[in-house]
Amino acid sequence: MGLLYDNLHVYLFLSLFLLAAGILGILYRKTLIGMLISVELMMNGAGLNFVALNRFVAPENPSGMTFTLFIMGIAAAEAAIALSIIILIFRRYRHIDGEELKEMKD
Amino acid sequence: MIIAEVIFILVILLTAAGTLLTVLSTSLIYALIGLVATMFGIACLYVYLNAPFLATVQILIYVGAISILIAFAIMLAGPYSRRPKEWTTVTKFSAALFVSLSSFAIIVKIVSLAFPVNGKTAAMALSTKDIGRSLFDTFTLPFELISLLIVVSIIGAIMLALFSKGEK
Repeated sequence: MGLLYDNLHVYLFLSLFLLAAGILGILYRKTLIGMLISVELMMNGAGLNFVALNRFVAPENPSGMTFTLFIMGIAAAEAAIALSIIILIFRRYRHIDGEELKEMKD
Repeated sequence: MIIAEVIFILVILLTAAGTLLTVLSTSLIYALIGLVATMFGIACLYVYLNAPFLATVQILIYVGAISILIAFAIMLAGPYSRRPKEWTTVTKFSAALFVSLSSFAIIVKIVSLAFPVNGKTAAMALSTKDIGRSLFDTFTLPFELISLLIVVSIIGAIMLALFSKGEK
């Protein structure tokens, strides 16, 4: 057992913790912005996972880091679209409660 | 060596505390502060993983841009008193907790089966130059597609904001 930061499992368990917390948040949050924040949490966990596996399993090529950059770009695009949709919902219905948006259900 | 270890443990604790604050706080602004703390901790972890360029980009994009975007959305989405309470019923919270913990347990099993603890890891000698070369050499098409995606999403956000009907 070497140093703590030379250990792959520390990073994997931290990103797993981020994933579980994101699932918990997206399931019980009521507002749409809260759900979006939880999705950002999960994406951060995925990026950490990619970089840690790149560092410890395949240290010779930088594919994991490149994929983390792609994740950041997709997260930026997703946040812009989702927030504009949330602002639109707020302008139309005067609330951002996820449970009350059921027009397409019935 | 010992100082690096202590700082690493502090960074891990900062990230975990930020995550818990993000998920469990009742106010959205506190959740946003927790999210910023989590992202900052992950940037520090990127430094520990020999990826300083990614740490810089993480702070620039996540801590700088996306959190400000979310803060704008929170400010624009009405006053605090008219927002619904974040805490839902106990049943829903326990169901969400059960799903989260069971996925945690399943993936713990997968992780410990697939990646057994190995001994010494090789020193990594990847620089920013290698990342740039991979970005423009191996992953040229995905890179261009990402730029197209961002342009489309920005134009879509502007169109949604401009040409939408107002209050029903």
